[in-house]
Amino acid sequence: MNQHAKAISFVLNGSKTEMLVQTHENLVELLGRLDLYGARESCGQGLCGCCTVIVDDVAVSGCLYPAAFVDGKTITTIEHLDHDVQLSPVQQAFIEEGAFQCGFCTSGFILMTHKLLEQKPMPTDEEIRDYLAGNLCRCAAYPEIINAVKSAATKMART
Amino acid sequence: MTIHKPMPAGQVGRSLPRLESREKVTGRADYVHNIRLPGMLIAKVARSTVAHGRIVSIDTSAARQVEGVFAVYTGEDIRKIIPEPYYGPAFHDQPILALGKVRHVGEPVAVALARDAHAAEQAAQLVEVVYEELPAVFDEVEAMDSKAIVHDVLKPAGTFPDLKHLHGKKNTNIALDFHLRRGDVDKAFAGAAHLFEHEFHTQQVMHTPLEPMVSLAEPTRDGLTIHTSSQSPSFVRIEIARLLGWPENRVQVKVPYLGGGFGAKLYIKLEALVAALALLTRRPVKWSLTMEEQFYTISKHATTFRIKSAVDAAGKITGRSCAVYWNGGAYADIGPRVTQKSGFTAPGPYDIENVAIESYSLYTNRPPAGALRGFGIPQLVWAYESHTDLIARELNIDPVEFRRMNILREGRPQATGTAMKDAAIDLVLEKLAERMNWSAPFDRGGGTVRRGRGVGIGFKASISPTTSVAFVNIYADGSCALYMSTVDMGQGSDTAMAQIVAEVLQVQAESVRVIHPDTDVTPYDMATLGSRSTFHMGNAVKLAAEDAKQKLEAMARSVGVPEGSNLETREIFKKKYGMQAGNVMGVGSYIPGYKSPDSVSGMSDNITPFWMIGGTGVEIEVDTETGHVKLTKLVNAADMGRPLNPRIVETQLSGAAIMQLGFTMFENMEFDAGQVTNASFADYKIPGIHDIPPAIENHIVLAEQGGGPFGAKGVGESATFGVSPAIANAIHDAVGVRLTDLPLTAESVLRAIRLKAGNPIGD
Amino acid sequence: MISFELAEPKTLNEAIALLDAEDPEVRPISGGTALMLMMKSGVFRPSRLVSLQKVEADYSRIERGSNGSLRIGAMASLSQVEHSDEVRRVAPVIEKTMRHLSNVRVRNVARLGGNLAHGDPHMDLPPVLSSLGAKAIVAGPSGQREILIEALFSGYYETVLKRDELITFVEVPPQAGWSSSYIKCTTRSADDWPALGIACSLRIEGGSIGDVRLMISAATEKLTRLVSTEKVLRGQKVNEATFERAGESAMAEAEVIGDSRGSASYKSELVRVYVRRALRQAGLGETQP
Repeated sequence: MNQHAKAISFVLNGSKTEMLVQTHENLVELLGRLDLYGARESCGQGLCGCCTVIVDDVAVSGCLYPAAFVDGKTITTIEHLDHDVQLSPVQQAFIEEGAFQCGFCTSGFILMTHKLLEQKPMPTDEEIRDYLAGNLCRCAAYPEIINAVKSAATKMART
Repeated sequence: MTIHKPMPAGQVGRSLPRLESREKVTGRADYVHNIRLPGMLIAKVARSTVAHGRIVSIDTSAARQVEGVFAVYTGEDIRKIIPEPYYGPAFHDQPILALGKVRHVGEPVAVALARDAHAAEQAAQLVEVVYEELPAVFDEVEAMDSKAIVHDVLKPAGTFPDLKHLHGKKNTNIALDFHLRRGDVDKAFAGAAHLFEHEFHTQQVMHTPLEPMVSLAEPTRDGLTIHTSSQSPSFVRIEIARLLGWPENRVQVKVPYLGGGFGAKLYIKLEALVAALALLTRRPVKWSLTMEEQFYTISKHATTFRIKSAVDAAGKITGRSCAVYWNGGAYADIGPRVTQKSGFTAPGPYDIENVAIESYSLYTNRPPAGALRGFGIPQLVWAYESHTDLIARELNIDPVEFRRMNILREGRPQATGTAMKDAAIDLVLEKLAERMNWSAPFDRGGGTVRRGRGVGIGFKASISPTTSVAFVNIYADGSCALYMSTVDMGQGSDTAMAQIVAEVLQVQAESVRVIHPDTDVTPYDMATLGSRSTFHMGNAVKLAAEDAKQKLEAMARSVGVPEGSNLETREIFKKKYGMQAGNVMGVGSYIPGYKSPDSVSGMSDNITPFWMIGGTGVEIEVDTETGHVKLTKLVNAADMGRPLNPRIVETQLSGAAIMQLGFTMFENMEFDAGQVTNASFADYKIPGIHDIPPAIENHIVLAEQGGGPFGAKGVGESATFGVSPAIANAIHDAVGVRLTDLPLTAESVLRAIRLKAGNPIGD
Repeated sequence: MISFELAEPKTLNEAIALLDAEDPEVRPISGGTALMLMMKSGVFRPSRLVSLQKVEADYSRIERGSNGSLRIGAMASLSQVEHSDEVRRVAPVIEKTMRHLSNVRVRNVARLGGNLAHGDPHMDLPPVLSSLGAKAIVAGPSGQREILIEALFSGYYETVLKRDELITFVEVPPQAGWSSSYIKCTTRSADDWPALGIACSLRIEGGSIGDVRLMISAATEKLTRLVSTEKVLRGQKVNEATFERAGESAMAEAEVIGDSRGSASYKSELVRVYVRRALRQAGLGETQP
């Protein structure tokens, strides 16, 4: 093994995973090698949120996150949210409110919304906008996204 | 929700969620981006660093040394596969890789292939090109008579009759000139009580679909399969087959979902290079652009628009001349169509007796420009609705009232001579006036925060004449599938078309399976563009569903099922074939009528099968110390006939308006000697969640489109039309200054305020 | 991007030893958000990166001193700083600033030390920390030194840090009696990099300005303290007329540069307005107990 490659192990969507990664590889590329495409590189600068991944319980931009840094960490991707077949309340709310068009940014918005509602179960409009300000939707479904976040908050409060 | 009465089966007019909702919220929707094939090579291109230059030499030796590099090719290598490697929908002017000359910064010059994207990228950076720089032209008006000539000889593709006269022309940058003469505009100007003349500009901007353009070609036994993020699979097949000298049936083009298109992924973009590379290497080859590279690939035309109007003493517009210059960049793409089709409506939705239009498509040494959500219309509406507002203010007539006095009413001929039909311009204007509470007193703010309001309305002819074909296949258990080549890039076409099938066959829309574009399977469609699909493909789908229904009824009769029986479909198949077997295949093909404009007068009495109408009203606050403009209210209204899915349509309206908000307020491709200096989201800003106004309303007016499927027509672009002028008009209303160039930056607002106050800001 | 050696030392001294005072291709990496951008665009091609991920635990604590000072480990993530009760108690302006600093994901990953060492003049924390009088504790092969944050930057994306030095802590002095504000101006989308940032801290004594720290960022080549304007302010009454004069002074004092966010002359106008507004906000705000 050359010094530009690293053996790492991590927990991915609940399963222990071991891999050899190149030092210049980022987390989105690593996930792509594992056939997980829900996190996608778009702007490549951490500004659009299409590549959002949860690492050790916080949201990160996978396109700016060195793959080698996930060694020993726990990773959750969008593909894990319905691991028990049921959609999460956030996913349901995004469908009901029509909070997406092309869908390319949707994984990121949904993961971010999950983290927001963990921190603030009943966010105000301003809190929603502040938290999602780093996610871009070129189809501009922003009004529907704000509605979906509120609707998800209400759903989750009920359960 | 919808104000229209429900259809009998309750499927059309239903606000059901998108059929692919679950895939999209779980990150599992198919995009080309997800595809990896065994043995696949990744392509990265080396791009021109000069705006206009002769290629003296290309040295690929260092690039080929990079570990893991499979091959490095230049334009000459492409010629081994494609002897005449020039493509394009209007002109065959764009080389697959530069040959002899480069015409804009960022033009692909060489390509490196490797299994690993990083290796290919490193190699591409090591390609050494020596250029002999040539004089360049960047401005559209200068290009009219510039000594810098972008293309030595014009090469129209032959598909469009109005381009034929340009064949072989030299020493010109004009890629199309469209002229229209109606009445006698000079006489109108001579006899006018008032004359108004203004010049407006729009800037070059980019679509920035969040899924950057991507294409993948794989060689098959005797042909090619191309997986591509394209809005026009049928055109890709035809154009690739033409380039290769093959019959269409050897090229298969497959398109899954698109992560946004907005016109960026039309006609042919990356497909020609990956096709050539797959044949050169006999391997699957994938080429994915970065966000930055998209800026070098396609954009929206910058424009200069000179508009002059004659108005009589009563406030009636009696004559209008329009000269529009479209900055098409280095390759024509679909620019000449934009020039002509939008040229039709350059005078705006007003009833004007005497009209003269000149519209010029120009080559320059900027990245190519094509269609972007509106096919040129937003640039025109920007100018004519700003102009309209200026006239109204000058004449001391309320801007809405002035529009009422001059608006094109049903049945009246538009500039081309085509009569307005099913065009609810008046309803859109009145809806805006009502929702803006226009006749009520308005709070104008005070101190350093001044408030204003404005409206803008626009209209657009459809892209005609174009063809759509659809199949509806009923399976032996009674379930069905729709085969069509309309691309769902987020606009919801899968869902809307399934609703049409469901309405005809009286089933639930959710049960209709939609087969995605695959030219081996799905029939021809011109393209998913210009809001044409709802009308054209919608009609084809309706015809296909009706055909299937009739064939099923005929089959029922043939096996002795009595008329009016409610025997289940599966039982009819069983009676016919003795078991669960067989198909009923309905076919629908649709092309509307059209009459080309007269080559001299530009007139035609049938220029479009339908009109798209949209308008926007805004309320804003201007910070008079900084020039910042804050939108506090945004009202969109559109005539889309009967909405097939009101919920999706409303999302389309607000989405289009917010996109145009970006083009209005800050999006701007900046250049230094032809080099885009802000080709990334760090410096090219698009609207985020903080940029949208707190109050957005989207209104569907009560209208019905004759000849449209269940009275529907397209809507994806309509809410872009009025946004820019509405905001400029509101700024004028708030602080008394007029901006004539987009974008309306805070700096330009403050500069105008200070200039007016006699206290200008220095340069 | 091309591959490189990734070293993962376990202690600070090991990390410093792996750095190289002479070699610009060797750099430390903490969160990596800024470095990854530079590497992806090809602006920076490292031969070796020294990851600080594994030395993190010792240097990511946030502590409040008994005198009301604040000591923040340089490896604390920006979101840790954002959500820290200690930080909020000493300097609420930091929490307010964080809300619109880059985005949530960057704040989750980027570290305080890396954010400062990057030297980007558009960052929000350098002006804020400077106006609070904060300093960086820096460790190198020959030991420790202290640098005021306001003196950390030597040019556009340049700092006074040596290549083999690391920021270990940031110390904010007690803020009792001070009132602070930070406002930034974006001229394109709301989430754009700022065209201008103004941070100020005022110590108000009996309705007059006893002391002041006034910083400008983003519009200037590097973070700059508006020393002359501070002189205009000291001893003056806290009122609109004072703020107005300070705005005029700042406009004359600041060496503003133009870019795609605005011309120099426009940004000068912004300086006048935003200095006045920042002072107003701090002057009318509550002072720290």
